[in-house]
Amino acid sequence: MPGHRTKGFCASAAALALCAVLAGCGGPGESADGGKVVLRYTWWGNPDRAERTEQAVALFEKQHPNVDVTTSFSGYDAYKQKLATQAAGGDAPDVMQLDYRQIDQYASGGVLLDLGKQKSVLRTSEIDPGLLATGRVDDVQYAIPQGRGTETVAYDVQTWKKSGVPLPGKSWTWSQWADTMRALAKKTGKPGATDPGQSEDAFEVWLRGQGKALYTEDGGLGFTAADLTRWWTFTDQLRREGAVSPAEQTTQLDGSVENTPLGRGKSVTDANWDAPASGFLALVPTGVALAPMPTGEDGTPGQYFKPSMFLGVSAHTAHPEEAAQLLDFMINNREAAKILGASRGIPVNETIRDEIGPRLKDFDKTIADYQASLEGKLKDPPQAPPAGDNALQSTFQRDYDQVSYARMSPREAAENYITEAKAELRS
Amino acid sequence: MTTTAIPAEAKRAPAPAPERRPKREREGAAWVFLSPWVLGAVVLTLLPMAVSLYLSFTDYDLFTPPKWVGLRNYVQMFTEDPRYWRSVVTTLTYVVIAVPLQLALALVVALALKGMKRGKAFYRSAFYAPSLLGASMSIALVWRAIFNDGGTVDHLFGTGGWVNKPGWALLAVALLTVWQFGAPMVIFLAGLQQIPAELYEAAACDGASKWRQFLSVTVPMLSPVIFFNLVLQTIQAFQVFTPAFAVSAGKGGPADSTLVYTMYLYDRGFVASHMGYASAMAWVLLVVIGAVTAVLFRTSRSWVFYASEGDR
Repeated sequence: MPGHRTKGFCASAAALALCAVLAGCGGPGESADGGKVVLRYTWWGNPDRAERTEQAVALFEKQHPNVDVTTSFSGYDAYKQKLATQAAGGDAPDVMQLDYRQIDQYASGGVLLDLGKQKSVLRTSEIDPGLLATGRVDDVQYAIPQGRGTETVAYDVQTWKKSGVPLPGKSWTWSQWADTMRALAKKTGKPGATDPGQSEDAFEVWLRGQGKALYTEDGGLGFTAADLTRWWTFTDQLRREGAVSPAEQTTQLDGSVENTPLGRGKSVTDANWDAPASGFLALVPTGVALAPMPTGEDGTPGQYFKPSMFLGVSAHTAHPEEAAQLLDFMINNREAAKILGASRGIPVNETIRDEIGPRLKDFDKTIADYQASLEGKLKDPPQAPPAGDNALQSTFQRDYDQVSYARMSPREAAENYITEAKAELRS
Repeated sequence: MTTTAIPAEAKRAPAPAPERRPKREREGAAWVFLSPWVLGAVVLTLLPMAVSLYLSFTDYDLFTPPKWVGLRNYVQMFTEDPRYWRSVVTTLTYVVIAVPLQLALALVVALALKGMKRGKAFYRSAFYAPSLLGASMSIALVWRAIFNDGGTVDHLFGTGGWVNKPGWALLAVALLTVWQFGAPMVIFLAGLQQIPAELYEAAACDGASKWRQFLSVTVPMLSPVIFFNLVLQTIQAFQVFTPAFAVSAGKGGPADSTLVYTMYLYDRGFVASHMGYASAMAWVLLVVIGAVTAVLFRTSRSWVFYASEGDR
């Protein structure tokens, strides 16, 4: 008899153990909340963007009582890493915000859903075809651009005015910009700008101002070690003079406005994308205004209008239709557009843009006016960066660290970067 | 098995068990009981290890299927990647700073606690607490705030931000580990209490000073425990990640000064999407840790004293 009991116990113990193991791997199709569809939606951005997104999502949930949206957001660097890990594990969020640099890799890696198959709930007719095409890879629409952005020099208005240095005009060349930063540093006692040497984006603007580009059409490097050496020599000199932020400040940049010298009250300006610049308002309450990026010495503009960010749907989502509905809501819903304003750039839906454009308030209006002032003046955007660029962004910043901490000469660091970039783009 | 069966078994135990069920059947029961563990070991440990070993011979970007490249990752690591070697040097520097400091501090505090008459339990918990908290990300972030420019240390000593100075950042990371000396401390304390009081009395009779007693009684008697802590902490130090990650905001900066081995591994895997390369790095780390441990065991023969040896 005892033998019997033992066996029975064993069997149930084993069954229990198996249950415990299996319970850990619930199927993706499960939905909590008594039959409600649960969607995960993630983005990167500042608290301002998060607050507005939460409001828009709440409205969506009200209109779709059967759907529950769980949201999360983080800074750009952290977001990029987390999303890559999730995507690789087949666990990408149902709806995710994507950067231009990620589209190619994610689409060809099978992470993204073909949105063309969701035409019934996802309208794209009111989006400029050229802009819409930026979310297409091999003629499949994998992502929808969410806004249009361009780079800008955001500045602390009050500090600048007090310094007595003339406010920035409608355009300036890189050398005029540098002289202004020197003057600001002299008058205010703090650096004029964030050291732009660490930023691949700023370098691209400088490069394009000379008619060159980051990448060639076939995805190779569009510049030489000599170009990069000149750029880093230029910024290194400004840093040594104290016209731009010191290495200790520059190294803390992580893509969030909170960690920029301007956000910390330690510089007068910061080169950034225009949409996230709204985050400076909370940090510089006395007022932030936008000036254009410097141009080449002959006035050639380097900055361009870029699809600021995209929305995509996971290829593995259990609820493609609801996910597409949420995407449609974020892009085409009038009420949502009013809430979101320009927190992700100016809306891509042209009807909405025309309608709410003039009614934009506060910093949203600042961004809209800034973009309007550049309309027709900028050159065409470059094609989407190749997959390796995703990693090169951080490499760029890291290699410049070696320059700003005076551990390498601009030439050594530039040659280092070119070697790493070539290896990255080849593989 | 019922509870009443246990005493019956126990009583029978000294005699050779006469009527056991066939060996096969008993093994079967053993496997059933072991199954959760075996399942866990295979699914959660052995399988991932095998996959990682395979991946280390491939080029794998997380999104497209792995491509077999043979030894290329290993060759690249040893011959073409200066940052790899920088991370090796950084890790060794870290191990050499953090481990001795941590063990010394743990021993000093354990000695102080040993002689304490009152409040021992309180202090023991107080000193142990950082070991429980310290591994968490939040404490590491607090650490970053303390050593950042404008942080507490900056205010008190005018040091500027340590975490932003390439020469100092690694020390800030090491201090976070040193601060978590609780686990080795508790082990030291247990070891100290095992040393017979007669030895100290005898030494005192011979006129040995406290320092002499420490060197001639405490250290040799404690040497097995010191050795145990040394091996354990060294292995852990080679794998340091969280403090370096948090203190450098995930970048191993400034200027790669806190780019310890696992940070670079993480960077290759999750930032640059070179999982094959990262896997290869992990296997090299495993081999190196094995080798270092073997060397420590080899040297231990000359300085670790086991009380049982005296009986032989």
